[in-house]
Amino acid sequence: MSAHRSVYRKNVKVAERKGAGGWLAERLSSLVLVPLTLWALWSAAMIAGTGYEGALAWFAQPLNAWVLAATWLITLWHMNMGITVIVEDYIHKRSTLGLLLGLNTLICLALAVVGLLFITRLAVGSDPLPAGFGV
Amino acid sequence: MSDPLSGTPADPAGPPRFYTLQPNGRIRPTSPHLQIWRWHVTMLGSILHRITGSGLVGGAVLVALWLGALAFGPGAYDAFVGLAGSPLGLIIWFALSLAGFYHLASGIRHLVWDTGAGLSPRGASTLTTVTLVFTVVAALAFWGWLFASGKVTL
Repeated sequence: MSAHRSVYRKNVKVAERKGAGGWLAERLSSLVLVPLTLWALWSAAMIAGTGYEGALAWFAQPLNAWVLAATWLITLWHMNMGITVIVEDYIHKRSTLGLLLGLNTLICLALAVVGLLFITRLAVGSDPLPAGFGV
Repeated sequence: MSDPLSGTPADPAGPPRFYTLQPNGRIRPTSPHLQIWRWHVTMLGSILHRITGSGLVGGAVLVALWLGALAFGPGAYDAFVGLAGSPLGLIIWFALSLAGFYHLASGIRHLVWDTGAGLSPRGASTLTTVTLVFTVVAALAFWGWLFASGKVTL
């Protein structure tokens, strides 16, 4: 991305001094996602087969909605870092690299916003969409 | 063996594609690629970690669609569940659960390695094999439970 302003000394690229933070963020998000993923799998099994009313009842529990929102955001953060690493490893053309990294972040942000909107509406018991959007 | 300073292969007939030109003009050997290494299970583990991680992006999109269907009311939700519960839908969820269990277990494997433990060749291979076996067992147990309890039916 354009944020990468590589520094060269004697024509050799030197460290960008942001590796440790990224490394820690990967580990921290992984560590937190271990229990959250198990909880999500358990929740999926609890919701499966309960239909529309059952799913709404699950969201009516505030703790479920809050933990799901946290899981959603941390998952997308982790996903963004993972896809970034893969793209950086295999794409060497500057323009394609920038495009794909931008697209990756754009998709993660879009999923975060849309997901949080749905989770919030389900948690507070809003009328089904598109209610509230001029209908 | 080659001379790392001159970058000249000790065997003149050696394949020159193992050498690369650095920005400062020096010739440096490159790491051997897949077809050079003897196959080992940690290699499969690493490749699978990336493939499953990428595949789970699709899972995140499906979860977003599920949330959307639920937020759009009973009609949209029933349509979503109808597709998700179809044979093709169940195959996709099963594949995603395999990817999820693998990425989870493999991620824990990486966290263990990050502590410095299990990094001997034998230990690393054992840990990776355990990860692979766990993936299959966990996914089958998860779906066995879902079907046996009647939560999911065909």
